[in-house]
Amino acid sequence: MAYRIAELELSQPIEALTLSEAQEGVGLVARWRDRLVGFVMLPRPAGSTLTAQELEAIADERFAGAVMAAKAEAELQARWPAAELPAPSLTIAICTKDRAVRLARLLASLEAVRPGSRFARLEVLVIDNAPSDRSTEDAVAGFPQVRYVREPKAGLDFARNAALHAATGDYLAFLDDDVVVDRHYLDGLYEAWRGAPDAGGFTGLVLPFRLDTPAQIRFESRGGFGRGFIRTDFRKDRFGNALHPVGAGSLGAGCNMAFDRRLLLEIGGFDEALDTGAPLPGGGDLDIFYRVLRSGRPMVYEPTYAVYHEHRETLPQLRRQYWTWGLGFMAYLTKCRRADPELKARQSAIVWWWTLDRLAAVARAGLRGRWLELGFAWAELTGGVQGAMGEYDRSRARSQAIRERAA
Amino acid sequence: MSDAPWLIRHVDLAEGPCELPASERAHYVVFWWRSLPLGAKALLPSELPFRRAQMQALAAGLVADQAAARGEGLAGTPRAGVDGIPRSRATLTGALQAENLLARLDRLSAPGEASTAGLSVVICTRDRPAMLRACLESLAAQAGQPGQVVVVDNSADGNARTVCDGRERVSYVHEPRPGLSIARNVGLAAARGEFVAFTDDDVELHDRWTVEIVQAFSDPSIDAVTGLVLPASLDTAAQRAFQLDLGGFTARYIPLVFDPGFLDETRHLGPQVWRIGAGANMAFRRSILARIGGFDERLGAGASGCSEDSEYWYRILAAGGTCLYEPRAVVFHHHRADWPGLRRQHRAYMEGHVAALVAQSDRYGNRGDLRRVFRQLPAYFLRTAALSVQNLAGWRLRLLAEEVIGWVLGLRYLLRPAWRARGRAAVAQVRRASLASGVTRHA
Repeated sequence: MAYRIAELELSQPIEALTLSEAQEGVGLVARWRDRLVGFVMLPRPAGSTLTAQELEAIADERFAGAVMAAKAEAELQARWPAAELPAPSLTIAICTKDRAVRLARLLASLEAVRPGSRFARLEVLVIDNAPSDRSTEDAVAGFPQVRYVREPKAGLDFARNAALHAATGDYLAFLDDDVVVDRHYLDGLYEAWRGAPDAGGFTGLVLPFRLDTPAQIRFESRGGFGRGFIRTDFRKDRFGNALHPVGAGSLGAGCNMAFDRRLLLEIGGFDEALDTGAPLPGGGDLDIFYRVLRSGRPMVYEPTYAVYHEHRETLPQLRRQYWTWGLGFMAYLTKCRRADPELKARQSAIVWWWTLDRLAAVARAGLRGRWLELGFAWAELTGGVQGAMGEYDRSRARSQAIRERAA
Repeated sequence: MSDAPWLIRHVDLAEGPCELPASERAHYVVFWWRSLPLGAKALLPSELPFRRAQMQALAAGLVADQAAARGEGLAGTPRAGVDGIPRSRATLTGALQAENLLARLDRLSAPGEASTAGLSVVICTRDRPAMLRACLESLAAQAGQPGQVVVVDNSADGNARTVCDGRERVSYVHEPRPGLSIARNVGLAAARGEFVAFTDDDVELHDRWTVEIVQAFSDPSIDAVTGLVLPASLDTAAQRAFQLDLGGFTARYIPLVFDPGFLDETRHLGPQVWRIGAGANMAFRRSILARIGGFDERLGAGASGCSEDSEYWYRILAAGGTCLYEPRAVVFHHHRADWPGLRRQHRAYMEGHVAALVAQSDRYGNRGDLRRVFRQLPAYFLRTAALSVQNLAGWRLRLLAEEVIGWVLGLRYLLRPAWRARGRAAVAQVRRASLASGVTRHA
């Protein structure tokens, strides 16, 4: 079972799309004049053809409004042009461990967008995190403009902090090694900055890189990492969301985020006790979003600042990912409650909300006999329970041990 | 979160995307393109400043929605779906061909020229002379003066008389029999204009209200018009709960057509006629009276509680008429300021809603109306309770308890055959009266 991923340029005449015998649907990435405006998953029988008329009907329903809004925005911009500011410099950091092939794929996609960069200076760093061989270093050697840094302490946030100290740009963007960047990735980040030069951080759209396995399709149809196609600003509070900013997952994901580097240094970088690797590979992104917002600086989600993420391939991997999300989320909440008692009411409320929400998901899946869904919901719930039972302290002890071993 | 009063701020996007500066106070921002309302957004103090780029992104969406909904002529106006949600008519071809959206809004927001001489405005009031005064002041400031203003004083002692004395074009009628429907029918009988617009004493009118109401009737197929109800103030927590959490009265910024097809399509589910608008901002072509009579005097404030307005729209649709929700006609409503008031209001709303469903079911025999009483409303109670528990919203649970009580009180009407029989007789009587007066006045 696989989905074809196809691009649909709405400003051009729409042509029919044919699926191969192995493809049971299409993930449609819609652009208007090359600007990303929408994404939709369409299940279809294998080997079938989506006619131009069918695609037009889908475009009417799903993308016409976004095209109108994009046109209106262009007209508003032309009528009231914004002032130009001197461009900042940017460091892009990729934290990786033993995945040289994927890393090379990402670096190639970055080299392709580099010539159009509007940033004053662009630096790409690869942080090789406790490598077991030289493959990553060899892969980076193929890209002369990319700087290689080794971080012997195993753990994603050790690597992110190493990047923070090695970086020289005004802004520091992070990419996971399992993504490739969209052709307007740099432009998107630049525009996000131009609209909000005071922002402490930026997050961007994450689309699927491929949808070749049932796990990847399942994950993406459950919403994936998608946060929509509307630019959104986040601050300390958010009207209509009483749990903000504790529910920091709505801001975006750690595989595509960027920060004002000086602010990161001021607030002490990433929490190394989160994302220590198995059993706790998660929560560091939520924690940094939360702390940036609590520092008083806004964050901006910008959909044209986009990457394509290679989702987990197998169902057991995906189930484990849900489990680690529950675990990481609760470990992060444990930390929040200790570090930021001012928002204690919201932190407690979100534990209650989250637990009821996941229990309801378990009940719904059980009642409808959706066993796979039940497995995901149960995994996330049990991960959460374990996370709430002292996982943050266990992880702190683990990260301390890693630090001591390295010293 | 602070309990300080919210600031209601109006922003004209035609002036260019400005920045809303930092403030200690939360904002309820209403966006306009000159006289055309485009949308609203609530902002907490820490969500300010609201940057230019944010304003521009928001404006783009609002401009696009408005331009798409207001194509050429009424035929292009979106129709309401089952939930009163507009059915999108957007097409890719239309979006690709659309050019000069801002120029289109410039044209759409140019002041209309409709003559308001044929408009009668009816204001029913009861023991609120100070608020009535503000309402009449806003009426005196209209860009187009109505041909006639009727104030129906529903108080026992006629305490609104002094407020009306000496005002040009304002005629005062005292109707001591309590009940909003009774008062509105008195107003209808006194009205002479081609169009009759109703507003309430706790409302202040936008200065283009009368013009926009008359303009909305320019299509002869339109029998009833409703408009946008914005909050006049958001000073208290109860007012904010009503506007922001419960959705207020009407909150859509694009016009919407409710035609007989809407009734047909939703008959089996219980047509959600209350989505058409609010009694504080509604108008009718007076000729409709001869066809369907007046308001049902068993319903409304002072009787069952509310829904005399939506039951009236139901009858218009059932008689083959068409209602237009036109947000260009704007009024500002003073919401209940205290929690006890809000709770009483919600109990009355639910009781009146059930009574109207019973009345509609008796009159037209649509199973959907009773299905709503016994299936959809209990489901709504359960859903709201679950969400309130999950969100730890204790105030919502208390309000829900009032709604459940109102629902139980409403069920009593089902068991009162005399009440149910009275409906047909009353409607017929008003119809005869209006027919008679219509003949003499048009002669």
